Amino acid sequence: MPTPSPARVHECTVVKNEPIAQDIFALRIGSPELARMLEPGQFVDIAVPGNAMSLLRIPLSFAEADAEAGTIDIWYAVVGDGTERLSRMEPGATTTVLGPGGHGWTIPEGCRRALLVAGGIGVPPILCLARELARRNIPYTVCIGAASADRLVGEAEFEAAGSPVISIATDDGSAGYHGFCTAAAEQVLEVEGGEFDYVATCGPEPMMAKVAAAAERAGVTCEASLERMMSCGFGACATCAVETKSGMKGACMCGPVFDAKEVVW
Amino acid sequence: MSSVSMAVDFAGIQLKNPINTASGTFGFGWQFQNFFDVSRLGAITTKGCAAEPWPGNPKPRMTEVRGGMMNSVGLQNPGVRGMVAESGEFLADLASKGTAVICQVAGHSTAEYVVALELFEELCPWAAAFELNVSCPNIDQGGAAAGSTPEGAAEVMRACRPITKRPLLVKMAPVRLPEIARALEAEGADGLTVINSIPGMAIDVHTRRSKVSKPTGGLSGPLLHPIAVRMVWEVAQAVDIPICGVGGVTSGEDAAEFILAGASAVSVGMASFPEPDAAVRILGELEAWAESQGVRDINELIGAFEC
Ligand SMILES: Cc1cc2nc3c(=O)[nH]c(=O)nc-3n(C[C@H](O)[C@H](O)[C@H](O)COP(=O)(O)OP(=O)(O)OC[C@H]3O[C@@H](n4cnc5c(N)ncnc54)[C@H](O)[C@@H]3O)c2cc1C
Ligand SMILES: Cc1cc2nc3c(=O)[nH]c(=O)nc-3n(C[C@H](O)[C@H](O)[C@H](O)COP(=O)(O)O)c2cc1C
Ligand code: FES
Repeated sequence: MPTPSPARVHECTVVKNEPIAQDIFALRIGSPELARMLEPGQFVDIAVPGNAMSLLRIPLSFAEADAEAGTIDIWYAVVGDGTERLSRMEPGATTTVLGPGGHGWTIPEGCRRALLVAGGIGVPPILCLARELARRNIPYTVCIGAASADRLVGEAEFEAAGSPVISIATDDGSAGYHGFCTAAAEQVLEVEGGEFDYVATCGPEPMMAKVAAAAERAGVTCEASLERMMSCGFGACATCAVETKSGMKGACMCGPVFDAKEVVW
Repeated sequence: MSSVSMAVDFAGIQLKNPINTASGTFGFGWQFQNFFDVSRLGAITTKGCAAEPWPGNPKPRMTEVRGGMMNSVGLQNPGVRGMVAESGEFLADLASKGTAVICQVAGHSTAEYVVALELFEELCPWAAAFELNVSCPNIDQGGAAAGSTPEGAAEVMRACRPITKRPLLVKMAPVRLPEIARALEAEGADGLTVINSIPGMAIDVHTRRSKVSKPTGGLSGPLLHPIAVRMVWEVAQAVDIPICGVGGVTSGEDAAEFILAGASAVSVGMASFPEPDAAVRILGELEAWAESQGVRDINELIGAFEC
């Protein structure tokens, strides 16, 4: 029998839930047991009360799981009914969270330098990885992309985590470079690809496909965190399938982080 | 301990209680073992498997709808051999603990059902019964499901019946139920599972595209519960073989409605996604309800609906 998901249903309490950018909230939940179990790149599946017509949990990555404080930091974009209800949860509110979900980042053995590319609300799992790289004293370069300056998140946190270089791009030019963050990532890989042993990316799929292709051209290992519509989050429904070179693989168990070379983009 | 006896006979399978799981919503059982002791359930029904693996549909395969969800998984499955290699040991152990393992059989043609069932019959000595999923797109029927006509459903049943002496169940599509049920009974079906998901559509009006990768998908969840109860009741009037009620069960009362409408067993479906141990909670609630009805045996309540 394949290994079942280690996920359990954990009680959790909202500690903090406030806007940090246009339609983007930072949520801190207290869930000590789960906070101790989470690895960077995994996800959690939260139940958002308030609508009896909505049954499914919402899968969310996290930017930090603090084992000592027992808290989990989540950044989420309000895009529909579920995340809108989540944004109205007040500190002290309780619910349940299912996790840990899936398998996270695998930093290559002996990695000298990493390139991190995050688009939009793809920032949280990349920030979580950056903090892990910093703990291991592995330098990294970050490229962040956002639709506009008021939706840009993570700049201060990446800097605080110790990132030496940050390249920012916005679709409308309201902050940083006018265009997509893939341009900067492609350039970095083309010019100094040899200095990197690892590329990690999370964001819109076309963006990740471009990053993956650039990494492959430069001969650098690349991982990508993929999103799929998930019904269960623990391997029971097959709604989260990702097409890979070795067949369909569930994003909730084999991912959300995949070896980018394996993915059929 | 409850004073009500919960054991039922479903199509010749002795179940320690009427709670089963709906195919495709419970994986192969082991996915749930960390959440609760699966052997507390009367039965589980495994994901539909064909003779050879099926890759399933492209993404997106799911969208949430008011009161449920719509899926377009396309019956992705590892094939009978893949399933046995992966999950056979767990399922054999579960069967030895007294939980009936019902294996669902998928196929794109009558010939494919036959090959798949022959493999199941040979490789799954621990299976208590087999369930034919006649909602798969069928080549013999020009792409329509075999289960959408009495003739198509009967043809599959007729071809499969000689292959096994174990109980053969049919998972029914939500169409022309009484007449298809009668056709299946005549061909020797031992029981009917009513109903499969109801075809639906969900359109993203901004992009004008379907919210799943195909124009239509299968609806599940509380939104279809009253329809499923009505269909179970209609089938119960039409045939003498037992029924397993499926559709939108999230509480003991939902399960009780199926029992009263004439079902001997009840499957929990998508409720297990957000709440992996929903099936045992529902079992407890069903037992409490039976007790509240003042009966000593749940069998007294099967079909006890009064109009
Ligand atoms: C592993 C994983 C990690 C994620 N991490 C984050 C995160 O850190 N921050 C964040 O803001 N969002 C994240 N998401 C996306 C988040 O789950 C969805 O935005 C959320 O479920 C939308 O719910 P809703 O009810 O508000 O929107 P809905 O009204 O259901 O839908 C609004 C839009 O969101 C899309 N959507 C809905 N559900 C999902 C889903 N399960 N996966 C992807 N897209 C979906 C729909 O296609 C639609 O375009 C993650 C998704 C996955 C699978
Ligand atoms: C993700 C998913 C996959 C399913 N796969 C199957 C399947 O393989 N075979 C089948 O007969 N029914 C399948 N179904 C339908 C269920 O077994 C059940 O009939 C339906 O979901 C209604 O029950 P519910 O409302 O309790 O979920 C599937 C349903 C879902 C949500
Ligand atoms: S979300 Fe159910 S199998 Fe991945």
